[in-house]
Formats: sequence, structure tokens, C-alpha cells
Amino acid sequence: MSKESSRVSRRNVLRGAVGTVGAFTFVPGHVLGKGGARPASERLNIAGIGVGGMGGGNLRACSKENIVALCDVDYGHAAGTFKKYPNARTYRDYRVMLDKEDKNIDGVIIATPDHTHAVIGMECIRRGKHVYLQKPLAHSIHEVRMLTEAARKHKVQTQMGNQGHSSNEIRLLHEWIQDGAIGPVREVFAWSDRPVGGNPWSDFPVMARPKERPTVPDKLDWDLWLGPAQYRPYHPIYHPLTWRGWWDFGTGALGDMGCHILDPVFWTLKLGHPTRVEAVTTHCVPEIAAETYPLASVVRYEFPARGDMPPVKLTWFDGRLLPPRPKDLEPGRKLGTNGALLMGDKGTIMHGSHGAGGVRMIPEVKMKAYKRPPKTLARVKDGSGGHERDWVRACKDGKSASSSFEYGGPLTEMVLLGVLAMRLKNTMLEWDGENMKVTNCDEADKYIRPAFREGWTL
Amino acid sequence: MKKDKTMSRRDFVGAAAAAAAFTVVPRHVLGGAGHAAPSEKLNIAGIGAGGQAAHDLRQMESENIVALCDVDWRRARGMFQRHPDARRYRDFREMLDKEGDKIDAVVVATPDHMHAVASMAAIKRGKHVYCEKPLTHDVYEARVLAEAARKAGVATQMGNQGQASEGTRLMCETIWDGAIGEVREVHVWTDRPMRGINGLYWPQGVGRPTDRPSIPDAVAWDLWLGTAPERPYHPDYMPFKWRGWWDFGTGALGDIGCHSIDPVFRALKLGHPTSVEACCTIVNEETFPVASRVTYEFPARQGLAPVTLHWYDGGMKPPRPKELEDGRAWDTNGTLFVGDKGKMLGNRLIPEARQQAYGKPPKVLDRSPGHYQEWIDACKGGKPAGSNFPDHAGLLAQVVLLGNLALQPSLKEKVARTKLLWDGEAMKVTNLPEANQFLKREYREGWTL
Repeated sequence: MSKESSRVSRRNVLRGAVGTVGAFTFVPGHVLGKGGARPASERLNIAGIGVGGMGGGNLRACSKENIVALCDVDYGHAAGTFKKYPNARTYRDYRVMLDKEDKNIDGVIIATPDHTHAVIGMECIRRGKHVYLQKPLAHSIHEVRMLTEAARKHKVQTQMGNQGHSSNEIRLLHEWIQDGAIGPVREVFAWSDRPVGGNPWSDFPVMARPKERPTVPDKLDWDLWLGPAQYRPYHPIYHPLTWRGWWDFGTGALGDMGCHILDPVFWTLKLGHPTRVEAVTTHCVPEIAAETYPLASVVRYEFPARGDMPPVKLTWFDGRLLPPRPKDLEPGRKLGTNGALLMGDKGTIMHGSHGAGGVRMIPEVKMKAYKRPPKTLARVKDGSGGHERDWVRACKDGKSASSSFEYGGPLTEMVLLGVLAMRLKNTMLEWDGENMKVTNCDEADKYIRPAFREGWTL
Repeated sequence: MKKDKTMSRRDFVGAAAAAAAFTVVPRHVLGGAGHAAPSEKLNIAGIGAGGQAAHDLRQMESENIVALCDVDWRRARGMFQRHPDARRYRDFREMLDKEGDKIDAVVVATPDHMHAVASMAAIKRGKHVYCEKPLTHDVYEARVLAEAARKAGVATQMGNQGQASEGTRLMCETIWDGAIGEVREVHVWTDRPMRGINGLYWPQGVGRPTDRPSIPDAVAWDLWLGTAPERPYHPDYMPFKWRGWWDFGTGALGDIGCHSIDPVFRALKLGHPTSVEACCTIVNEETFPVASRVTYEFPARQGLAPVTLHWYDGGMKPPRPKELEDGRAWDTNGTLFVGDKGKMLGNRLIPEARQQAYGKPPKVLDRSPGHYQEWIDACKGGKPAGSNFPDHAGLLAQVVLLGNLALQPSLKEKVARTKLLWDGEAMKVTNLPEANQFLKREYREGWTL
């Protein structure tokens, strides 16, 4: 294939819409049936938006592709990644990058703070770019729904950054549950030690809004960092990393870890929309409660029966709170820092984070005695470590990635409903998932679809 | 007449044998230490005179308040003014020495870490004791204090005033009537330390202050510290905020557990649990965690099924029961009994229609003349008060405080791997010997029980 035709076909891929692609008769036939995918022999042209932290790792996993452009509002934080890709053009404003590089980019890896996922993801999708977007998919339920629908409409390949969904363990869990290993599951407990995990990436502030006004670092464009969030003065307590703890920017421990830890049950138990959710939190000081996520919370979801599966109660704990010690857990074993318990009529399964990591039936003697069913589900090459490349593969062969927005969207909506319940703590929220409406609390609307700062739209 | 009265009182507070010499003393009194006759007023001393102590003492003003002791005379000012004739002290030991033959009874309402030594000093002198909840700071202290009270035969009452209420009786009688069948699960929760007395908040999950403000003139800091290890004065500890500090208080569970677990204890005839297990927010060695859950397992007893009791604090609470009507408050403090034939929230069946249909259980328990009056009556030879140390409060406090053992910061990693198995009779954790060191703390030099 000539360079020229390659470029043209790329451009059409970028445009996304199948009809447009079909107009070019020289595009290989096998591509057409796959929604404008690209031949495997070609490299994708990838841009990164938000490349200083997690984004750097995601890009590294795609280093066999062309990393053509990098965008970050903080050139200081992004310096290391910029250096790794000396040929990539650098930008501060993703809108400028997408305008200037529109013809050169096939796919975008987005790893910004949660509050800018949606606006950036949407702009990329509208331009027909394939999108790898970090979890949680967005900051509000409305944003998630819009992204999911847009990705469907524009027929781009998507992947949410819950890499555990590409793991072998999540497939094992799925196969065991389908095998009836523990019988019908009626109760699930899940937990995370965040926001007090004890590491820089797992400790979020619980505090009132700072009053001092430090100077904005030279290399940071604070206004762009804020994006659609309401204006507030710069402070290093927001950026980098610790934005997760602030209502306006992050989604707390549940938003951060729920897309990992609740992913296995959401998938294997086909949970879908919950009907009710209620949360309790440790918040008691108004100036703190108004700004950051709580030191600890418990969120309780109720899911209705699905097909032949019974209703499920799912309880989320964070801040080092845990469910009562299960009877099946042998003395000497602990629940771990992040994980979940599936309580079945005939037994219990325990797993860790990131896609049912370390999945086991408990007690261990029961695991050992279990005759495992055949591995019927297709595995993702390299498991969790192959999550980004699974998206690259999807961009090329047109078959959905493991955690496309069709899946990652509903998962994130469920997670963010729990976040909403934390915001409206001590209130049993009745949830109409289809219509994105808490039917017994109108106050919820402003959190389901928060107002953007002037100049920003989805 | 007045002189006679004084004389007879002096004899009452002496040895039991001496009291027995007075034939006017009611017969049932003779088995114990000196009890004042019902017609006489008690002479009461307060150990602690501000805060809750002032509240308690004001409920006892039918009697004589003859002496007041407080390590903080700022806080005591109100009661000093209210009882200008009461003699004033800072050190309860000095007060007991000087007033020993003039007082019949003491009210102990100090920070938790001083309950045991103050109460014990009074009991040893044959004084009746009203002591605030929790009875003590440690499990061991509660056991020893209850035994001492039994041996001395003095009238005692712990300050869990709800025990005297109609609500507690209704709760017991409804359960005993079988209204919700067999109970295997109970949840008790409080939003403390979020909101303490009068909406005040006491910090937990915080570290030790490093600045050293000067001690206010009115405060005898060394006496306030009492049995606790030496540390510099700081207003983060007193008044009131001591509740959050391991060295002084007993956290939300200690503060409220003796109130809200008490009726559960009675209704389900609980004794020692067989195990306790806990989880909590991030711990530090200084203060109690911001929120916790403690789970006790009680064995079958007196024909009742084994029961699991879950305690929650810091805003945590159990799942909203499906029986609770939509729109009805699911309060941040409460008690939920889960029976095999229904559920009871507080002392009412849920849903409310079920309560309405049920009506009221048969009255089988005596009604109380009032929590404080119970004790006053007992001091004068009446029947033991409802939350007296030997028969009730000692055991209740031991069980409540055992929950704090499971929250000990230094045990957290171990408790994450096993529940603590408890031998109540032997007063020891059987599967984690190192836990037993926390049953009884070391006192500062110069202090003994």
C-alpha cells in the first residue's frame, strides 16, 4: 500500500463514519465490514492527553504504535513523558492539538483528572478518533451516558482504562459463576483502603478548601487544568494526584477503585442498573463535607433480579472499613486492602482488585476440591498488561476492545451512582437508570448533570 | 434532732457490725454496709462537679450535697455557687480522707480513666457509688470494681439512665413476648463522635498536639491526669474532648455503648460474648478511629438462640431494613433487632402497621421510680438499682470495653486475620495472648486501684 493511500485511508478511519469510508473504493474490502478498521500491518497514530501520570504508562504500552502528539496542561509534570517521545509534538490545550493534528491522529489516550474526561473524550469521538479513556469514564453520570452514546454513534473503538477487565482472572470468575461454583449470588461486599491507602496515589485529602493562594507554577496552565470545573484559585493540594479527593475534580475512593473492584461482579452477575442506593459517610464538619470525599464511607446498592439470577445486594466500603469477617475465611487470612466477596448460596468467592486478581473460592480447601470448568471465554493477549494493546487491536480489526464504552459506560454509571449517594448521604435513592433520574430526590439532578463553567460544553 | 441524725449517720458509715447495733435500721439493710434510713437524707459528695457531674448532682438535690471535688474549678463554679455550703476539693483522695465520716455516698463523673480509682476508693470506705458510664476505662477495672461493690455491699448505679426508662422495658417485654420470634442478629449504631453532648464534636483520628499552652490557674493538671501517663496540659484533652483519646476516654463505643447496648443486654439476656471482631478507619496510637464497626458473637443462653451484635459508630449504620416504610427516617442513632418473625426498631415493630396491630406486650417488669431515685432508694436500704455494678453494669461495661480491645491500634493487623475468641469467665482472649495486655493498663506511679 502506497504512502498516499495509507494516508487517505487513515483520514477516513479518522472520520469514523462507515458511509464516508465506503466512498473510497481503494480501501481494502476486509476493512469495510469492520466499521472502518485499519490493517494490522499499519501503525496507529496516537496522541496522548494528560501524559504526566497514568497516561505515561498507557502510552508506554502502545509504544509499538506512532506516538505523534502529546498534550498536558502541566509541562513540568509531563516533562518525563515528553522526553521519551522526542518526535511527538507537544500541546497544552487539547482543543488546539485536535485542530492542528486532526489529520495525523487515529486514536487518543486520555488520562486527565476525572472532571475533564468527558469534554476531552467527546471532542475526540466527534472527530472520529478512537479513544482509550481512563477510568472512571467520566465525572458525572450524564457525562458517561453522553460518551457512551457518542461512541456508539460515531462508531469509534473505545476502551476504558480498567485494565483488569482484560485479565485472565476476571474470565475465570465468570466461568466459575456460570458453572454454579457457589450457586446463585445474592450478596456482594467490596472494599478499598482508599482514601487512606498509605501511598501517594492512594491518599486523598479530607479537608476544607485551602485559603492561601500560592503562585501558579510557570509550567502549569491552571485555567486549562480546571477545564469545565468552576473556577477556584490554584493550590498544590489539587494537582497532581490529590485531585481525586475533591468533589469538583475527582470521584473519591469509589470512583477511583470501583471501576476496578466492582468490574468483576458487574460483568459476571450482569448487574446493570441498580434500583436503590444509600450511603453513609464519616463526614460531619460542613466545611470539609462540602469540599472533599469522606474519610470513609459505606455505599449499599440493590439490584433487581436479572433473568434467572436473584436480586443482589452490593455493599461498598472504603477508608479501611470492611464487611464482617466471613465465616468461610480461615483464621490467619485477611480480607486484603482492596477486594470483594461474592456470597453465593453454596459458597463464597474472594478476589482482589483489578479484575478479580487472586480470585479464589474460600476456604482454600473448597477451592482445591473444585473441579474447574473448561476455559470457554476468549482470553485477551497478555491479560491486564495487554489492555491498551487490546484497544490498539480493536482500532485495527474493528472488533470491540474488552472494556469498550458499551461496557465501561454502564459500569461507570453504577459506580458514580454510589458517589452520588455519598453526596446525598443518609438518603435512600430510588434510581431510574434508563432515565438517569433519582425519582425521590430532585436535588440529585445537579450532581447527575453538573453545570459546566462558562465556555465549556459537552 | 439534728445532732442525733449526724451521729446515726456516722455509725451507718462505719462497720456493718456497728450499724447492726441500731435496731431502727431496716432488716434488709443488715447484710450490707451502712444504708441510711429512708427517712433520712443522704450526704452526697461529687467527684467531678462540672459537666455531666453537675447534671447528675442536680438530680440528687433531694439529698444533701455536702462536698464537691473537681480538678477544674472553672467548670465546677456553677455547682459551687449552687451549693455554697458544700466543702470544696480538688483531690478526691483528700476529700474522702477529710469527709469520710460525713458522707454516705459519692457521685463519680470524671473522665473515664479516673472512674475506677475514684469509685474503688469510695467503695473501700463503704460509700455508695453512682458512677458515670462507662463504668471504667478497662475491662479489668470493670470486673474488679463490680466484685468490690458486691463484697462491700454498697448501693451502686452506673449512669446509663435509659435503663430506668419505659422504652427499655417495652423493648424487653416485646422481645420476651415473642413478637419478632427468635433474635439472632442485632444492630446498634451511633453517629458519635460526630455529635456528642449538646451537639459538640470531639475529635478522633487526630494526633497529639505539640504546642504547650500554659495550664489555666483553675486546673490541677496533675490530678486531672491521675492514673494516666504524664503528658503536658493541652485544651485538646479537657474539658470534654478527652473522650477521643485512648489514654483518657473510651471513644464512641465507651460513651454510648453502655447506653444503647444496655437494653439489648437486658432484652436478650446477654452475658459474655464468645468472640469479638472489628474494623475501623485509619488508626493512630493517640485517638480512637473516626468510625468503626465491632461485631460480637454471643452463645446460646437461657433458651435463647446465639446472637450476633453489630456496633457501628462515626456515622456508619446497618442497611436500611425493607420493613421500614419509604420516607420514614432511618436515623443516625438506633437499635435494630432482627428476629425470625419480624424486626424491631428501638422498641417498635416495623413497619408501624405491625406495631399498631401488635399493641403492647404484657407488663412483666417493675417500673422505675427514676434512674437516680433507684440509687437513692438503694442507698437507703431499698432494692438494688437497675444498673448496679455487681449484677449488671460490671458485666455490661466489660463487654462494651472488650470492643475497644478489638480496636486497639497495635492489634489491628492481627485482628484483621482473626476474630478474638473471648473466655469471659477467665477474662482472657484465648487465641491472641498479646491482646490480653490491653485488658488492664499500667497506672502512673502513685496510683492504685
